[in-house]
Amino acid sequence: MQITPLLNDGYAGEPAKRVLNYVQDHRQAGDPVVGIYCGYAPIELIQAMGIVPAVLCAFSKVPIAAAETVLPANLCPLIKSSYGFIIEGTCPFYAMSQAVIAETTCDGKKKMFELIADIKPTHVMDLPQVPDEAEARSNWKQMIVKLQGFLETHFDRQADEEKIEASLQAANRKNALMRRIFDYAARVPSVLHWKEMYDLSFLAIAATGQEMVPLLEPLPDILEQRVREGFHVGPPKAPRVLVTGCPVGGDATKIFNTIEVAGGVVVAPDACTGMKAFMGEFAENSGDPIGAMAERYLKIPCACMTPNERRLTDLSAMIGHFKPDAVIDFVLQACHAYNVESFKIGRHVEEVHGLPFLKIETDYSDADTEQLRTRIEALFESI
Amino acid sequence: MGQRYAGIDIGSRTIELVVVDETDAIIESQERDTGFDPMAEAKGMIEKVSFDRIMATGYGRNLFEISFDAMTVTEIKAHARGARALFPDIQAIIDIGGQDSKAIALFDNGRVKKFEMNDRCAAGTGKFLEIMARTLGFSIEDFGPEALLAENSLNISSMCTVFAESEVTSLIAKGENRREIALGLHASVIRRAAGMINRVSTDGEIAFTGGVANNPCMATLLSEKLGRPIRVPEHPQRIGALGAALLAREAD
Repeated sequence: MQITPLLNDGYAGEPAKRVLNYVQDHRQAGDPVVGIYCGYAPIELIQAMGIVPAVLCAFSKVPIAAAETVLPANLCPLIKSSYGFIIEGTCPFYAMSQAVIAETTCDGKKKMFELIADIKPTHVMDLPQVPDEAEARSNWKQMIVKLQGFLETHFDRQADEEKIEASLQAANRKNALMRRIFDYAARVPSVLHWKEMYDLSFLAIAATGQEMVPLLEPLPDILEQRVREGFHVGPPKAPRVLVTGCPVGGDATKIFNTIEVAGGVVVAPDACTGMKAFMGEFAENSGDPIGAMAERYLKIPCACMTPNERRLTDLSAMIGHFKPDAVIDFVLQACHAYNVESFKIGRHVEEVHGLPFLKIETDYSDADTEQLRTRIEALFESI
Repeated sequence: MGQRYAGIDIGSRTIELVVVDETDAIIESQERDTGFDPMAEAKGMIEKVSFDRIMATGYGRNLFEISFDAMTVTEIKAHARGARALFPDIQAIIDIGGQDSKAIALFDNGRVKKFEMNDRCAAGTGKFLEIMARTLGFSIEDFGPEALLAENSLNISSMCTVFAESEVTSLIAKGENRREIALGLHASVIRRAAGMINRVSTDGEIAFTGGVANNPCMATLLSEKLGRPIRVPEHPQRIGALGAALLAREAD
């Protein structure tokens, strides 16, 4: 069946190239670029200041060998890849960035940031890790204010409260539209492919709410047309899978490809690289837009937080909405936070939702593709 | 003559073929080494038997599906089906093969409830025991019976095949009794297997399958460690193929 692509710009399936093109265009127009690594980077502030946030490369196995000349081999592949890209000089986003924003999420990242701090100005934000403590919100707000000071100094760009408020409101509209588009994967059967969700997510993190809204607005009509024409992703009875856990991109997308080879359909990629970035709302017209930003960012249920009960409540909401037949927890090797937390996730999925659960612990290599396929096929057999 | 159903388990070390009739009785079974050309070996095996339908399992199943137009099933479901056919009361299965091991928990109706696999290295598998037996100068057949004759067990801390081999070499150099080293090696594999079982299933009878179940020391230690009844089939390495044959009949 001939289907209308969501983004007909020649970059289908190549989200990184699309974003690269976007960042290059802005840079040529004179906008400064700052590199970011993580979902806690307050992109709405960065964008309000007229600076382009570029997500730095972290998802290829290629630079890992170079990284291991300095970093220990038993470190998470995402950190090794990030570092390898920098020392090999192969990440175009890093090359275009005048500075890097980092956060104290996990120990491996913190220590890796120390090793790159002398290459480019690297601003580390001290992320509170017990987000429900009374002081967490004000501390994180202070860190966002300090980031603003860092960006003003390095880029000579400013944003007043009005601009920041406008940026938050535009982001709310962008995120709501993204969620509306994801709703088409919640349909049974799904009419939205995970690659399309990825294409959109990658761009929607770099681009402002003001830029994304007109791009996203026509998409629900295209998806409605698919529904009318009876199009669906995968066989109509294919097992629906929610994938939670560590970020997925580049070589790590082997997990999504293997799910498809095994006959399943990814209906909910729940990670910082997937739907997590577009969840929740910023309080509007609060009179304290940076405080509103701090509030919303601390609600991201990353495994670096403790106790991370919000991950269970958010997961339950996603299970209710996307109606998966099975849940896969994707854990990158040596990511202790997600690895340990996986036990609670598995228990929650099995006992509260009665769904089959599978934890996959892997890295970026292709060596275990067949083993992953066996496990995923066995998971589907148990549905 | 009634319909005949075959199951073929193409594993990393051996290929097993089982044919059942309409009453689930086993009428043929074969076994050979996988070698370097598993499809040629598999072809040689199926040419010698007659059957109406065949289902493939094991790591070579997808290649077999393409080459011979067969149905496929994962080794997890195949082992679950095969072991339940022999032992209707089991709650779980521990399968230790040539290069992987798995623990499978079952629902009361025999369906797979939960499973764990160790499939990224040879630690705790048949390959590990084979290398350790050789290092200690035992044949693979004598390794378990000899270990059972030890009066004490030496603690082996390394699970990695490479590290364990050097640990064993240094114990030999210290003049330690090789039966006691052997018992220690078996115990180290069992600790890992027991951990896998405990993660998926906490009580009830367990079937022990895969080639390693032929080793009497393993079954003895597993039963001591878990305090649960352990059932070992007569041909533990054929359970995957048997399960696939039964599933082929049920798919008909």
